[in-house]
Amino acid sequence: MWRRSASFVLEKYQLPSSPMESPKSPQSPNPNPNPIPNLNSTHGISAYYQTRAEHHGVVTSDWLAQAQAAVEPPSPPSERTSPGSGKPFSVIEEFNYWRKKPDLAEAVAAIMALAAVIRSSNGTTMMELEIELKTASDALKKGDRSSISLSAGCDLFMRYVTRTSALEYEDFNAAKLRLIERAERFGEISLKARRTIAMLSQDFIFDGCTILVHGFSRVVLEILKLAASNRKLFRVFCTEGRPDRTGLRLSNELAALGIPVKLLIDSAVAYTMDEVDMIFVGADGVVESGGILNMMGTYQIALVAHSMNKPVYVAAESYKFARLYPLDQKDLEPAIRPIDFGVPIPSGVEVEECARDYTPPQYLTLLFTDLGVLTPSVVSDELIRLYL
Amino acid sequence: MPDVQALVGDFALKLKRRKVEGSHASARQTAELLRSVVSQQRLPHAGQAAVLIDAVRAVGEQLIAANPVELAVGNIIRRVLHIIREEDLSSTTTAMEGLGLSADSDDDNAGDHEDRPALSAAAVAAAARSALRAPSLHTLLEDIPESAAVPHASSSGGDSEGKSKSADKSLKSRKLKHDVIEAINELIQDIDTCHEQISEQAVEHIHQNEVILTLGRSRTVKEFLCAAKEKKRSFRVFVAEGAPRYQGHVLAKELVTKGLQTTIITDSAVFAMISRVNMVIVGAHAIMANGGVIAPVGLNMVALAARRHAVPFVVVAGSHKLCPLYPHNPEVLLNDLRSPADLLDFDEFSDCMDFASRGGSPLLHVVNPTFDYVPPNLVSLFITDTGGHNPSYMYRLIADYYSADDLVVKRRSTS
Repeated sequence: MWRRSASFVLEKYQLPSSPMESPKSPQSPNPNPNPIPNLNSTHGISAYYQTRAEHHGVVTSDWLAQAQAAVEPPSPPSERTSPGSGKPFSVIEEFNYWRKKPDLAEAVAAIMALAAVIRSSNGTTMMELEIELKTASDALKKGDRSSISLSAGCDLFMRYVTRTSALEYEDFNAAKLRLIERAERFGEISLKARRTIAMLSQDFIFDGCTILVHGFSRVVLEILKLAASNRKLFRVFCTEGRPDRTGLRLSNELAALGIPVKLLIDSAVAYTMDEVDMIFVGADGVVESGGILNMMGTYQIALVAHSMNKPVYVAAESYKFARLYPLDQKDLEPAIRPIDFGVPIPSGVEVEECARDYTPPQYLTLLFTDLGVLTPSVVSDELIRLYL
Repeated sequence: MPDVQALVGDFALKLKRRKVEGSHASARQTAELLRSVVSQQRLPHAGQAAVLIDAVRAVGEQLIAANPVELAVGNIIRRVLHIIREEDLSSTTTAMEGLGLSADSDDDNAGDHEDRPALSAAAVAAAARSALRAPSLHTLLEDIPESAAVPHASSSGGDSEGKSKSADKSLKSRKLKHDVIEAINELIQDIDTCHEQISEQAVEHIHQNEVILTLGRSRTVKEFLCAAKEKKRSFRVFVAEGAPRYQGHVLAKELVTKGLQTTIITDSAVFAMISRVNMVIVGAHAIMANGGVIAPVGLNMVALAARRHAVPFVVVAGSHKLCPLYPHNPEVLLNDLRSPADLLDFDEFSDCMDFASRGGSPLLHVVNPTFDYVPPNLVSLFITDTGGHNPSYMYRLIADYYSADDLVVKRRSTS
């Protein structure tokens, strides 16, 4: 909060120079290390957004180098706690392996990693298994604080495990097998969720409408694919989506489906908003208030849409619901992503490197989830039913 | 069931010809019709709920197709389907608990269920209950085939129990029908008494020396205002006449006979008068799942005026008007266009509207829509027979009254 006061200039000089933990490799695009300690450098680069960028396939080369540097697994604590496990098993490595697959949602990768933990566990009771899972899940969350779907997926799986263990399976191995089977089926659940969402949103796309899309969400892509295959006539405006260039990637996919696409730079959203009939975005996470966390720029677009009375529709699977209640933008764990401006930044100039923003629920019209079409106020109800 | 089919056909025809007016009448007649359908439906021994649901769905599809704009018909059909599912579930739960105790001893008989010997009856019942509820985060990782095995377990478990249970079975079949019909009777009673229950809350909302605005004539609003008057509140009412039907005139007369000070204004004068009004109370044709309201034409304008002047906009409606669907193009899809004769006199305008001249396309078009859509952010409060609610709370009531499976009422080709 103090950062917003006018005394920010003084304060920056007074801050204790934090140890430069951030993996700023020498090839960083910011060649001159700032004399003013960058406040953001205390948090690491968000591995979640790096992976998403890799999925988008349009990355800059020095960016990739940073990605490699950032994604080194710290010594996994799960190794030490599981008694008598001879082989080195790292839940974080497992997670990174799954996460790199472009078609897999983040929460699915987390649950696959936890399934691997169960498989490699040598415990003989449900309590031991639960403890191992808890440690693994904490390790995963600590490894990447900025990913909401990761922590939501871990929490969901942990709740499921604790509930299933109450079902009095006489045979521990049967229970274990069942948990592994359910976890591995979760990938199917996730795909089914996407299809359900696509079906629910079909009615809202009418012939001759113009849809504005921001960010590259696989769920939104599924929605548009289904609408195109249902022979609806519509056109799509894609925002460019700096710095990941998500718009380019998305427009490739849409053009391949024969949908008329128009690319806009991010600043042109307000200019074209009167031609737009509705906005579709995905979500990285859905928070308890009913608001969403999504790629930087979503809040801006929602504000413009609200002022021009255009509906904003969010497509998110239900496992992205998280028990967070951010009160403002800075309340969240910042997800840092270095931005490549193409030209060297002059020294003394800071860059806002956060990759995501929070859109409050009053700017959202409806959420399409696999639990049905929801208004933002239903989200907290669902979360309460799960967690309390 | 030839005479039931005839009844259904009659009713569908009446709906199509708009002979049945108003959601109250439509809801009541639909509920009575479904009651006859259920009572005359012959049920097999096993899978009764499915047969009932199928029968109701078939009738429902016909009725909804006859008048898709009359949402109360669809609401009642979905309510009845939900009732059938709930009654079936509660009878299954009690049956499972009874079976569970004996199944433990008859473990050898239940040969098909070796894969799940350790599941307690409570767990199975819980799974069945979760299958009834809308999908939630709670059940996201649950196995769907597990809950599908539950009715299978109950029926084949019953067979393996032997003849001693067959007497229980026929008792159970009569019981399900009986329960469903009782629940439908309760529903009909709710529909009938909704006005009283809403009017009971009138005195909490209308205070001394207030000025209330309303538009057109809604029976619920009339009873609401009269109930407050009975409780010795003195207040004034502005009635906007509600062109082109001018039902506001009828309402004004009724209010005057009850002793209320009334003023009639034209619809266009609403914006001018709204600053002098304390509260707007209106009725609705239907309430959608997002809290939006399908209301008689002109009410969107009143809602905007009320928002502009920070006047509370209160909607009173019985719970049979609560619809689980989300409106995606309500101005077009959920609207009825009535005859232009309400607006224009044919004698004077017959030459403008002549389809024979000018190559079959007249220059004068007359549009007479029946309904307006009021978005949820303009509504301050909903008063239903269950109490007063926020528009963002409607989803909760919907989850109580309806099942997620029934949103699309289409008969399944495979039973």
